Amino acid sequence: MSTDSFREARTADVPAAGAPQPGGGSVPPSGRSVRRKGLSERNRPLWMLIPGGALMLIIIVAPMLLGIYMSVLNLDQYTLRKWVSSPFVGLENFVEALTDSPLLHAVWLSVSYSLIAMIVTVPLGIAAAVATQNAFKGRALIRSVFLIPYVLPSFVVATVWRTMFQPNGVVDSALGTFGIDPGLWLNGPQTYWTLILVQIWASWPFIYLLALSGLQSVDHEVHEASALDGALWWNKLRYVIFPYLKGPLSLAFLIGMLHHINNFTLPFVLFGVPAPADVEVLPILTYVTSFQSFRFGLSAAMAFVSLVLVAIPLFIYLRAVKLDDAETPGGKK
Amino acid sequence: MTATATAARSGSEQELRPGSKRQHEVTRLLPKPMLAIILGFLCALVLIPVAYIFLASVNSDIGVARGEFLPSSFSMENYSKIWTSVGLATGLTNSVLVAGTTAIVSAAMSVATAYVLVRYQFRGRLSILRGLLALQSVPGTLMVLPVFVLFSSAASYLGIQVIGTQWGLFITYLTFALPFSTWVMVTYLRGLPKELEEAARIDGASNVGVLTRIILPLSWPGIVVSAIFAFLLGWNDVLFASVMTRPESQTAAVALQIFGASQEGGAIPLYGQMMAASLVCAAPVVILYLIFQRYLVGGLTAGGVK
Repeated sequence: MSTDSFREARTADVPAAGAPQPGGGSVPPSGRSVRRKGLSERNRPLWMLIPGGALMLIIIVAPMLLGIYMSVLNLDQYTLRKWVSSPFVGLENFVEALTDSPLLHAVWLSVSYSLIAMIVTVPLGIAAAVATQNAFKGRALIRSVFLIPYVLPSFVVATVWRTMFQPNGVVDSALGTFGIDPGLWLNGPQTYWTLILVQIWASWPFIYLLALSGLQSVDHEVHEASALDGALWWNKLRYVIFPYLKGPLSLAFLIGMLHHINNFTLPFVLFGVPAPADVEVLPILTYVTSFQSFRFGLSAAMAFVSLVLVAIPLFIYLRAVKLDDAETPGGKK
Repeated sequence: MTATATAARSGSEQELRPGSKRQHEVTRLLPKPMLAIILGFLCALVLIPVAYIFLASVNSDIGVARGEFLPSSFSMENYSKIWTSVGLATGLTNSVLVAGTTAIVSAAMSVATAYVLVRYQFRGRLSILRGLLALQSVPGTLMVLPVFVLFSSAASYLGIQVIGTQWGLFITYLTFALPFSTWVMVTYLRGLPKELEEAARIDGASNVGVLTRIILPLSWPGIVVSAIFAFLLGWNDVLFASVMTRPESQTAAVALQIFGASQEGGAIPLYGQMMAASLVCAAPVVILYLIFQRYLVGGLTAGGVK
């Protein structure tokens, strides 16, 4: 096939092409720096994007848009059946969500609990990564052990901790031997800290994994240099090793925040619904508004707020993340 | 020193050759006692609750309620009861069915998409890559309501009953699995050398030929990883499964959650069965991880590092 003339023809009509849509099969070809590209420019099987792209459009983007649309409808259990013709109420749902619902409280709970959990997991993860960096007998086993909390399904983690935190349960009796009476874990104001504790237990291995990948990027020469300088271990960690962890850890921080803010399973299984007011985090509140009080429109507005909330760390993450490796050109924008 | 140093350098990034004392000293980060304290603390942190799951599952319910760590009585009968009392038999079947199909379909679909995204330049490519990452962070609570509404309108307008069947769950899990699988495949395919494809092309292979004859056989570790993650996504979900299933189509996660919630109030909860069921639900996941650990750890951080 005369790929060359085909390519020229394509380059000619590129400037007219509109903005590309993600996932779409009808992606206009690139016109920039065509000359320098060899094989990858010719005969591109872009149609191969169509099956996956179309499916994603249908099953992700469509419900997402519908969800956003629902947030401006007055939707409850009576109008749900005929949601197409349910009354349009504009921003009323948002106004109610912000002024007359525990939404702002939920946002505060979500963000603060995610942050506190993150702040505790980071040192734990770094300590674990630093401790398993050097080879020793049984290291492989310990590395597998460290991953267990992360690989256990959330609903299992929550069920187990729920059992352990029962009044007079194993946690209480363990603390009791030290003469501490911790009070109720699964009811009342302390639930907030229960949630944080369990979240920390479940998610520190993620930080550990990313910190480990950061440690492994430390060149051997760096170790040698600091050994020659006779750096003490604490100084070596502080001034030589930790700077290498900055990148991976800030990514871990963002991804971790996203996970925590979106985490539904853990509070849901740990406390059940309706959850105590002190752990009514955003996903729980949205769920309860939908499937317990049947205020679907209001709940859609809340879900939209959580989308906006998630979009903040997500935006930073997308800016920071390296979408391309060095080999493929075009890392602009 | 030089011999060992260069040897380690050539194997550069991470692993020091085991047994070379000097390497060990140079790269050592922590003094021994510190190391022991940290490792001891973290292992205890992980292993005590994990051991508790097993210990409580063979204990009596009263024993668990009293806060015993080591069981005062021992019986394995919880493991035979849970199949009907928790509904774990149907639950596990449904979970395997739904999560398994999700895994196969999303892994299969992701290969071609990822291949094009990695090897070809076109406008919008970066937007798609970015979109793949962004879609993974869409809150589940944003999706659950519209998906529910769409499915119930499918029932009332088209006469197709989706809610309460495994199909609904399958489609929903695909929603979350597809972007993730594709991204995992993208990071994997990047690591494959181009030369083989080019050689195949010179021999006259078509695009589809390159994909099926060169890429597929080479990328099975990546495919397995993306399939496993898709599987776990379905296996671990509670949100969608709790909204869209009936008792007969319940997944194991929902079965366990409902069983746990129904134990509130009244007599002593059936803790032993809860723990036994937890262990059974966790076992397949943990076993999968242990088998494929080497590949999976890379995948876990794929979203973050690259």
